Amino acid sequence: MTLDFFRLMYPELSLILIIFTLLIIKIFDLFKQNQSLISFFNAIFNFYFASLLFSININSGELFNGMYISSSKFAFEKLILTSGTLLILLNSAVWLKNHKHLPEFYLLLVSSLLGMQYMISSGNFLMFYLGLELASIPLAALVNFDLEKKKSSEAAMKMILLSAFASGIMLFGISLIYGTSGSLDFDILQTSINANKLNIIALIFIFSGFAFKISAVPFHFWTADVYEGAPFAITAFLSTISKAVIVFVFISVLSPIFNNLQFLWSNLLLIIIPLTIFIANIFALRQRNIKRFIAFSSIAQAGYILLGLSSNNGLGFASSIFFVIIYLLSNIGFFAVVSAVSDSMGKEEIDDYKGFYKNNKKLSWALAISLFSLAGIPPTAGFFGKIFLITAGAATNHILLIAFVALNMVISLFYYLNIVKKVFVDSSQAPLADVKTGLSAKVSLIICLAGIIIIGLNGALLEYITKLINL
Amino acid sequence: MDISVIIFYIISVVITGGALLAVTSKQIFRAAVYLIFSLLGVASMYFYLENNFIAAVQIVVYVGGIVVLIIFSIFLTQNSGHRLKKPDGKRVFFSALSVLSALLLTLNVIGNYNFKSNSNNTIEPEIKNIGMQMLSTTQYGYLLPFEVVSFLLLAAMIGCIVIALKRN
Repeated sequence: MTLDFFRLMYPELSLILIIFTLLIIKIFDLFKQNQSLISFFNAIFNFYFASLLFSININSGELFNGMYISSSKFAFEKLILTSGTLLILLNSAVWLKNHKHLPEFYLLLVSSLLGMQYMISSGNFLMFYLGLELASIPLAALVNFDLEKKKSSEAAMKMILLSAFASGIMLFGISLIYGTSGSLDFDILQTSINANKLNIIALIFIFSGFAFKISAVPFHFWTADVYEGAPFAITAFLSTISKAVIVFVFISVLSPIFNNLQFLWSNLLLIIIPLTIFIANIFALRQRNIKRFIAFSSIAQAGYILLGLSSNNGLGFASSIFFVIIYLLSNIGFFAVVSAVSDSMGKEEIDDYKGFYKNNKKLSWALAISLFSLAGIPPTAGFFGKIFLITAGAATNHILLIAFVALNMVISLFYYLNIVKKVFVDSSQAPLADVKTGLSAKVSLIICLAGIIIIGLNGALLEYITKLINL
Repeated sequence: MDISVIIFYIISVVITGGALLAVTSKQIFRAAVYLIFSLLGVASMYFYLENNFIAAVQIVVYVGGIVVLIIFSIFLTQNSGHRLKKPDGKRVFFSALSVLSALLLTLNVIGNYNFKSNSNNTIEPEIKNIGMQMLSTTQYGYLLPFEVVSFLLLAAMIGCIVIALKRN
């Protein structure tokens, strides 16, 4: 039992150890300079990442009477979240260097990651809900970490109020489930949930909570304001990692438990997907601020991911996870460039990027490749990701939906390429000067770009994910 | 009529009456006090159902904690003693409409569901048993959620401290 405990819960226990280390660092003020703490933390986190990578094939098992479940699929999902967090941390070293509360920043970020990992591994609705809260409450505090800016506080306030409301609705759904079946364990619920009115309402409430967290229309109103006010590192985290975890949870938690109500949630998805993609695209067209733009772009991308989930088969789930990885790399690559520009010059408007190519040749190409991947232009990985998602969605036989989604990809092409055009073609009297990026940001950018290109051309990753899903 | 049924209806009247007065009261401080009656009614309902632990938690957390917080925040905001303005008719109409439809939906859903008592649950809801189960890892044991909650509180506390410190 003790050995199992350490072996199976290794990813979470290590994060808890990191949290305590940070607490001790803060209390005894061990690092006088931010730079040394950044190097120290990056070293620890890299080590943690590497250990996850090598222990990915740990045996599957259960702990605490089925409350905690571990398997190689979950280990892989945790690895994706950790690697995304690592890339974001590498990107934001410049911003972090001047921050007054660096240990707290790391502590809250690691707490949020811990919550996500518990959420993925949960075998019980109580653990699931606690993981969800542990993932979102520290994030609301992190949104406020541009401590001097009023907009940042406003964004945090909006996020904490709205996400408390969404959690409340979800909790109401969970309590209805408990009322009908007398249990919160997933393996019992799989058989005891059936299509009575109370369970249907419960599913709608829980589904709304999910839709809020992944910011699908009509639960998307918080997204643009929160993304705009948050620091770049946290905007990147919100738009990639917190969406990814909801997709994973959807696959491993929601879809098996509510299998008897599959007709209902797949129909809900069929309503939400076209709405999400279309409304997000329309709003993204008219954004001037780069963070608001990425907010609406990420809403639209969430719609594509949901398309893969709506098929409710292994291929659809595998292509959703595959697309999540690609989306993570593309978005973080985009953020690497944009946050470098913002950190050194404070420019956050799309029009500031006119003539960007003149002084920043390499960064312009990096921006272009990330945007190509987000838009889904071959030969980048984004193209292949979307192809697989649409193929999976086609299995549902809703040809109109697929046609509508494909049409919307053309709209999205316009606004992504609009930025590329501003960067390469448009001229400006005062183009942005040469942007200096640190070594770690360069490393992170190169990893993202290499990932975008290699994953697209090599099918091994999708094969591996399909194998994990079908286990 | 059985005495226990009469007690049940008395408690129900306290709960719903307190809630109605809390919503309709024109003075915000009085609304908070009426809310206390409603929440105490819910606590006595738990006592009535012989679930002493949840009743105690209801009193400690809601009556003792949350209502006190609400009263504090009423005192901290301006105009706490003033009478609220009368809401306009359109708003009253739509609020009443949404409350009514929610009520009908709830009645329809709950009324049509055939609740069964759970026979699997073998643990008596006594405070001692609840305490034992909270720290147990076997069936119906909640040690892991208990520990995760402590991390949630740690993270929330640190987040609050950083935000509160920011002026210095």
